[in-house]
Amino acid sequence: MDVVNQLQRQFIDYSASLHREGFLDDQFTQLQKLQDDNSPDFVVEVASLFFEDCEKLINNMARALEQQQGVDFRQVDASVHQLKGSSSSIGAMRVKDVCVAFRSFCEAQNREGCLRCLQQVTHEYSLLKNKLQTLFRLQQQILAAGGSIPVVE
Amino acid sequence: MAPTLPSSDQASDQDNWDNGRLARKRQLLIEIVLRNRLTALVVDGDTTCRVLEQLLLRSYGVQTQGVDNGRDAVALIASGVKFDLIIIDMILPVLNGLEATRQIRDMGVHCKMLGVTICSGESERQAFLAAGVDVFIEKPLDPEHLVPILRELDGQ
Repeated sequence: MDVVNQLQRQFIDYSASLHREGFLDDQFTQLQKLQDDNSPDFVVEVASLFFEDCEKLINNMARALEQQQGVDFRQVDASVHQLKGSSSSIGAMRVKDVCVAFRSFCEAQNREGCLRCLQQVTHEYSLLKNKLQTLFRLQQQILAAGGSIPVVE
Repeated sequence: MAPTLPSSDQASDQDNWDNGRLARKRQLLIEIVLRNRLTALVVDGDTTCRVLEQLLLRSYGVQTQGVDNGRDAVALIASGVKFDLIIIDMILPVLNGLEATRQIRDMGVHCKMLGVTICSGESERQAFLAAGVDVFIEKPLDPEHLVPILRELDGQ
């Protein structure tokens, strides 16, 4: 029982820190509440989908910004727009915030600004991916030890 | 380099955060029991959003279908499939959300349509409403907006 309590405490603390540091917002908590016995891996699956989407969109943005003969900012903006939508739907607050700034640079047709935002968004996406993988690992450990995932406040 | 969050005193930030979260915790995932079998179509080009919106609807017992572009949405409606609710994004591949909405309305379809989009400007809102959506919701679609609409559709 002690092991389970320890792991649960770790999970709660880690979740809280992710919210406090702005990596996740209430939308993510909503998703966790949707997870039940019928769909026990739902959050992990949705997160995987999101990361797949992220990688595809980041690659699209990078390719569009690489064009030497003239960047199609509308194309970049379309990808940023999509990433803004999916990141806000999953509760990835910091990724979403970069997208907001990114769209302004697209509108201003500012290639340098866009490239900086691309770096930022790639960085935030990597950070979030690592953090969520840690969170999910903690979840697995709790379940393996026979405990249940605590409801995140 | 991470984007900077609004700066303020560390202690009061934490208090506000805690109080805000307590208040909002009560609002999270509003409960509702539907009496009728409702159906919904989700039209969104982004996989993550489409899957999440369908999952949210299903968690309330709504039967859902999803399509990832405007043209397929119009074709599905044109084939005679009926829905109680259509959730549609503004920016869609092949045929955009505004045009798809107009075409669906032109077919004489009167069901509830929600424009759920990341676009947040007043002009976008007006355009989507003018095209024929009943409600304009900024992403993400959340229970606070969805549940009253489901209640209404369920006749509660």
